[in-house]
Amino acid sequence: MRSYLHIKGKNLWMICACVVLGVVLACCGEIITGVDQPSTATVGSTIDITVHIDIPTVGDGGPDNLILGILMPKGWKGAQNTTVTYKSPLGDGTMSIVPESSLPKNGGGLTWSAYMKKTFGLAGNLIDDMEWVPFQTDKAYTHNGTEITGDLHVKLKVGADGNNTLVKLGYVITDTGNGFTSDGNGTYYSQLSTPCFEVTGGTGDLVDFCNPQLTIIDPPKSLDNDFVTLTFDGNVVATPLTGNTELYLCATAYTSDNKTIEVCEQTEKTKMAQTSATSNKYQLTFWPKEFFNVPDGQTIVKMEYFVTDKTGTTKVGYGNTLSPFVYTFKCE
Amino acid sequence: MKNIYKIKKLHFLMVIIGLMAASCKTESVLPQKEALKDISGNWQVIKATRNGTDLTTKVDFTQFRLKFDAGNYSLLNKLPFLVEKDGAFALDDPEYPYKITFTASGGQPVSTAFTYPIVNGKRQLSLSFSPGCANNTYVYVFQKVGE
Repeated sequence: MRSYLHIKGKNLWMICACVVLGVVLACCGEIITGVDQPSTATVGSTIDITVHIDIPTVGDGGPDNLILGILMPKGWKGAQNTTVTYKSPLGDGTMSIVPESSLPKNGGGLTWSAYMKKTFGLAGNLIDDMEWVPFQTDKAYTHNGTEITGDLHVKLKVGADGNNTLVKLGYVITDTGNGFTSDGNGTYYSQLSTPCFEVTGGTGDLVDFCNPQLTIIDPPKSLDNDFVTLTFDGNVVATPLTGNTELYLCATAYTSDNKTIEVCEQTEKTKMAQTSATSNKYQLTFWPKEFFNVPDGQTIVKMEYFVTDKTGTTKVGYGNTLSPFVYTFKCE
Repeated sequence: MKNIYKIKKLHFLMVIIGLMAASCKTESVLPQKEALKDISGNWQVIKATRNGTDLTTKVDFTQFRLKFDAGNYSLLNKLPFLVEKDGAFALDDPEYPYKITFTASGGQPVSTAFTYPIVNGKRQLSLSFSPGCANNTYVYVFQKVGE
């Protein structure tokens, strides 16, 4: 049979080279090329953050608005305490909070904030008390191959909750036309997490999102009329309790009328159950009001606690010391 | 004898015709009145979640009871709930309720969404509420005790 396909060796190489070159050139949509931010700040101060971006605008389509998401603790109330402006070759402008009614095209019905949380989670942080705050540009751009490099200038008031904090702030960019997707033209988003950022000078507890904690309380924010789940993670560091498989909670409640109630016994009530046979994580879920037997009209404002062995003599406190862990009952 | 047999045969035929006629009777298509939702009785928690996390096996719910009786409710072996004290309750619509309101004695009325499905042939009562921080949402699924 006669072949109708005539490709000589030289032409074949040229075609292959063009395809490869095309793929390389087409690679990648929005990119975060770097983030400048301070490493520490005091509670209530406003920090300047610069997000450097590069948008090759490969492909066609648009015009789309640029989306920026910033991951931060919920207690910072990012939507009220953040302003974003940008400088670009296409002109300067501002970015504002994406309204909840404006849903991402490929987000499956989620809001931008929820879509970011679903896609990128806590981006390296360990306590689920954070939110992605989404912003969009006031102007749109088309995807026509013109490279746009620019800077997003963020002013963020940190620590609105008054808590000393260690947190890995996270950033993501994409555009309204694509979202967190990829196709033949490349990937239309870029996410970057920064090293642990520290907020000091606050009056509240230290909230450490960055480092594994010996104990975690879920929900992170609760009152004495919630159920709280306290988990001791024996894998974080070797403690005097290592090797014990029967652990108990020893706690003191501080009430609104300055009374203290101690529950430090080694019974079924205080026993922390191992979450699975070899997890080395021990857990107790309790209703603080009942646990401390608080009468009506009294509320618990704070709890100090240790984890002990069966005899109650070996105990472990905050940071593997003999100082107690502290948990404040509050919603903000 | 032959006549008797004929009469019997005729009777038999008439009965058959009668039955057939009866079976052709048009069925009444008058709208059925939706039964009033009677939730009175003792209810116990069979499933509980906090912010989507299952608490059923982490907390002892077996002793907690919610009792509805003639417009009043009472709580036994209390756990975090919509209300802390006993009082009165009301459904927004006795036929198609979607909201239940608890008024603890001496307290303000509190309402919550309410579903009343039949699961595996048994009525369930599902209530969601936030007894502590507003951001912490609990869902208790109740089933009548002894059913």
